[in-house]
Amino acid sequence: MSPQVSAEVMRARTFRYTWWLAALAVIVVISSVRLYTGADRITAPGTLRAATIGACPILLAGLGGLWAERAGIVNIGLEGQMLLGTWGAAFFAYHYGPLVGVLGAAAMGLLGGLLHAIATVSFGVDHIISGVAINIVGLGAVGFLAKTTFDDLEGGGPRNLSGYSTPPEFTVPLIADGARSLADRHWFIISDVAGAIAGVTTRLSVLTVLAFVLVAVTAWVLWRTSFGLRLRSCGENPQAAETLGINVYRYKYVAVLISGAFAGLGGAYLAMVASSSFTVGQTGGRGYIGLAAMIFGNWRPSGVLTGSLMFGYTDGISLLSNSGTLVHALLLLVAILLAVFAVIKVRAAERTTGLVIAGLSLGAFVWFFSSDTVNASFTGMTPYVVTLFVLAVFSQRLRMPAADGKPYRRGGAG
Amino acid sequence: MRRLSTYGVAIATCGLILSACGTAADNDTDDTEAAPECDPVQIEGDAKVSLAYDVGGRGDQSFNDSAYAGLEKAVAQFGLTDVSEGEAGQDESEDIREERLRNFADSGHNVIVGVGFAYSEAVDTVAPEYPNVAFAVIDGFDPTEDDVNCNVAYLGFAENEGSFLVGAAAALQSETGTIGFVGGVNNTLIQKFEAGYAAGAEAVDPDIEILSTYIEESDPAGFGDPAGGQAAAEGQYGDGADIVFHAAGFSGTGVFDAAVAADKLAIGVDSDQFLTAGPEQAQHIITSMLKRVDTATFGFIESVVNGEPDQGFTTFTLADEGVGYSVSGGFLTPETIAQLEDYKAQIISGDIEVPTEP
Repeated sequence: MSPQVSAEVMRARTFRYTWWLAALAVIVVISSVRLYTGADRITAPGTLRAATIGACPILLAGLGGLWAERAGIVNIGLEGQMLLGTWGAAFFAYHYGPLVGVLGAAAMGLLGGLLHAIATVSFGVDHIISGVAINIVGLGAVGFLAKTTFDDLEGGGPRNLSGYSTPPEFTVPLIADGARSLADRHWFIISDVAGAIAGVTTRLSVLTVLAFVLVAVTAWVLWRTSFGLRLRSCGENPQAAETLGINVYRYKYVAVLISGAFAGLGGAYLAMVASSSFTVGQTGGRGYIGLAAMIFGNWRPSGVLTGSLMFGYTDGISLLSNSGTLVHALLLLVAILLAVFAVIKVRAAERTTGLVIAGLSLGAFVWFFSSDTVNASFTGMTPYVVTLFVLAVFSQRLRMPAADGKPYRRGGAG
Repeated sequence: MRRLSTYGVAIATCGLILSACGTAADNDTDDTEAAPECDPVQIEGDAKVSLAYDVGGRGDQSFNDSAYAGLEKAVAQFGLTDVSEGEAGQDESEDIREERLRNFADSGHNVIVGVGFAYSEAVDTVAPEYPNVAFAVIDGFDPTEDDVNCNVAYLGFAENEGSFLVGAAAALQSETGTIGFVGGVNNTLIQKFEAGYAAGAEAVDPDIEILSTYIEESDPAGFGDPAGGQAAAEGQYGDGADIVFHAAGFSGTGVFDAAVAADKLAIGVDSDQFLTAGPEQAQHIITSMLKRVDTATFGFIESVVNGEPDQGFTTFTLADEGVGYSVSGGFLTPETIAQLEDYKAQIISGDIEVPTEP
């Protein structure tokens, strides 16, 4: 082993070690905030279950975005593909059962992806324009399809449908009950972790399991197989990929189709797990939030997961009773984390950024100590504010695929 | 980094598009008669009725379906032939609603009912352009009160009174001493439901704990978000509530799903939801706060057919059976029903005054 390789391995290990340490530190801070504010519900099993259900559609959309962008195609049409997925799930589940429903949702999303692929890959349409068009077409198509297919059904109307079967749910025996009783004791750290475990293992839908498995599958396929390497090369430098004999068009097509199918699955999750009814336009902007989660996660599966969980948490928490007091408790958490970031930035000689963050942190502290509750309107903004914040502060650290969103024509390598 | 900022702009724009909706400023309807200076609207020819639905639309097994039931009854009774319906979309703007109303009027429809308070402003704009068309807005308010439109009827309900009774029912049958309320959108209309519900529950048991959640603060999408309804109700059942009342339109199906999953109970709204929900859900719906949108719709069409279209504000109350509670399914015990009838009599006689704000 050459000295250079071993240095790289060492650095990777230190990197991983740092992340584990950071995650642990965040849990310690969360638990301390919980004990200090007495807002035990911030890590209660019910809250974390709501967070998981809120996170999964965002996660599936974000992973969809990741697939497309790793191959160099910006897929802002995720929202429209999710919408198509909600209809597919409802229609196929109503007539053929939940399994076909999930497959149907993926197929409908895939159709949306195909449209995007034809426009952007074959015809070189601007990715943003094609994506926005797909969102508009998706909403219109779903409205039309619902009117023509659901109006006369039992439990249906021109814009909605309920009464179809949904994928099975199960509670993991022993673990769920054990974790729940630990969570109810409100111990430092232990109860917070137990709350998360209980929240996830209680009435767990198979679609939730699928969503998390797809994170691992995505990471493995894109970073551990030659197929994934080729696909990513199309997003980094398609001209170079072409000179090496890679059929760039084909890889881009595959990526965008998978992207659409993932978004369709996100739609299925909304119509089958988060609720058991379909209504036109029920995605409510989650496709965009998925895209935000992907950017927040620096175009990495683990990052998309982190971003989705965070956004899903704010989504879920806003629907709890007296959510104002919970969000208020989280202000303290935000203030502390911002203060830590500020110190890190100042020590890394990024004085201006550090001072800006320190100012924000101070603002959050003042807000926390001068009020008892936060207006519920603020929780809805969280994903957008966080994304803008991350873009503003970490834009130097974010690295999107080099040829992401750039037009590519075959033979462009000359 | 230019590409990243393009991204930021794109996402921020999408956020703006999403949030650019909901100008929810609605007033309570007053129980006043038609303005005296108004002459009756003269419609031309036979009544041709149009129904413009709210978010959620027909098939919501609740509010919009109730209006449709009134229309169906009118069609059967008066032999109406030319009837049309229009569905509202999520996040639609004021001018789309106006355009829908104009399309109805231009295609020869002379009786136009806007289902839901969201049509108030659109009707206020469009009604003066078509003086020979009779308009009605269910749950409506007049945004320009100085400038009365003679061809508009505002059909309001005393939701607080009906909600009082189901609140009392919840308190009487709750075993945990905690009950819940899930509202679709946090506006004055839905707050009326909450206020009545809380007052009724506290009349029975002053120490009862009432959890309250609104799915959206101002976005009407809160009436078409079953996932939100399910998450909100699940949270309340988790916090100890055993009965949850919803005033959330189609989102209510999510509340019932949560009741089924948690094996707890729920209270429906607008229609008798024991009858409209699926068989599994129905077993968890102990009663519904009835808001007779069907009666109001039918009554309005009837008034037009009789040649004297309703004008101005009408409020349907407990006294004229415009609101009430349902007993189907047999979940309410005879003692509960006796108690509710007692409250009902006291409200009608004026001994109990039900608040309209929480």
